[in-house]
Amino acid sequence: MVSFDSVLPMLAAGGIGAPTLPSLGWFTNSIFVAIVVTSAILLFTRMATRRMELIPGTKQNLVEYLIEFLYGQVEGIVGKHVAPKAFPLLATVFIFILVSNWFGLLPGVGTIGWGEKVGPFLVDSEFVDAGGHHTFTPLLRPATADLNMTLALATVFMVVWFYLSIKELGVWGTLVHIFGPKGGLQGMLKYMLMPIFIFVGIIEVVSIVFRPMSLSLRLLGNIFAGETLLHTMGNLGATIGLPVWAAKISSVIFPLPFYFMEILVGALQATVFSLLCAVYIKLATTHEEGDHH
Amino acid sequence: MAGILETFGLDWAKFLSQVIIVLIVYGILSKYAFGPVLSMLDARRRRIAEGEANLETIKADLGKAEEKVRAMLEKANADAERLITEARDSAEAVRAQKTQEAIKEAQSILEKAREASRLEHEAALGELKRDFGRLVIDATSKVTGKVLDDKDQKRINEEAVGQVAL
Repeated sequence: MVSFDSVLPMLAAGGIGAPTLPSLGWFTNSIFVAIVVTSAILLFTRMATRRMELIPGTKQNLVEYLIEFLYGQVEGIVGKHVAPKAFPLLATVFIFILVSNWFGLLPGVGTIGWGEKVGPFLVDSEFVDAGGHHTFTPLLRPATADLNMTLALATVFMVVWFYLSIKELGVWGTLVHIFGPKGGLQGMLKYMLMPIFIFVGIIEVVSIVFRPMSLSLRLLGNIFAGETLLHTMGNLGATIGLPVWAAKISSVIFPLPFYFMEILVGALQATVFSLLCAVYIKLATTHEEGDHH
Repeated sequence: MAGILETFGLDWAKFLSQVIIVLIVYGILSKYAFGPVLSMLDARRRRIAEGEANLETIKADLGKAEEKVRAMLEKANADAERLITEARDSAEAVRAQKTQEAIKEAQSILEKAREASRLEHEAALGELKRDFGRLVIDATSKVTGKVLDDKDQKRINEEAVGQVAL
């Protein structure tokens, strides 16, 4: 049963795992939203860049401004040399996460779906079956509130990061960069401290291995928490026992301040994710003093 | 670990689907958005740099042209001043020359007039003397009743003219 009760109560998706849409196998609601977001981004950029002119129109101007701004930020972190190679991925990650996060704030996302029917167009989104599972399946779910998507973003980034590291420093250079002595040590001291540097390198490798998880879980946690917060605020009126009409009104008023916060959080998380990626690239492609270029 | 991943809904099929979506966005944005926009920004930057360089050249040319115009104007002014001075001097000289000529001409005319007047005066005086002499001769001839010969006429005429103080 499809719920059209989405305009007033802002209800989050049931459970943290992205549910598969009924009878569609692996095709989840977050994949569906990811496709919608992808299409929207590609459509807009195609419209803006189809006929590029030296004197830009409104859409071209907006896209140029955004790309120029992002390029300046990326160049400031990773440097002029690596920026052209790193920029496409970092900008893609930023734009995709930003649009996905804000898409999750649209009315209907997380609230229209399938569940236990309680009225002509109403389902009980809170219903939990005998096995303790939520039965409500939202049609739309923010793509970044699904670990599969956040992990996919982090994995693609790590692959590109690895490629850039090897391209910039070479295999041996990367190993030296991780395990080698730092600070330009020479002579006996360098060999005496080698075990410590190797140990530090092992810790570095562990931290690199955990980067995809830390990146993806940070983004997932923030966005899912935001969804849950809006859901909780939307249901707060009913939870504290307000009359039905007051609960309906409160379901609009209570989440309102948090909507503004979530707009900020959405932008902030996109920035944090792409900023960390840029810093990781910077750390991996920086030549030590005295290294061969 | 498997339990945690299951709780978070991690599924390889779903994960791969999302990876493919991310790669599609990455590829298409790189090809159709970042590439053209960065090229356009670079082209615009180069064009602005060229414009600035051209502007500097134009400014320099304008400065040179202004300097040239100023020099030409100064030269023209100096030439004009010189021409005016020369013209004034020339006019002054011509005027003086013409004045002198006019004075000389006037003096010449006066001289001539004076000479003519004197000649006329002398002619008139001679005529008068001759008439007076003839009258004296006639009167003498009538009074004396004697026909005077040329010798007498000449003597009487000379005496009469000599006694007339004109």
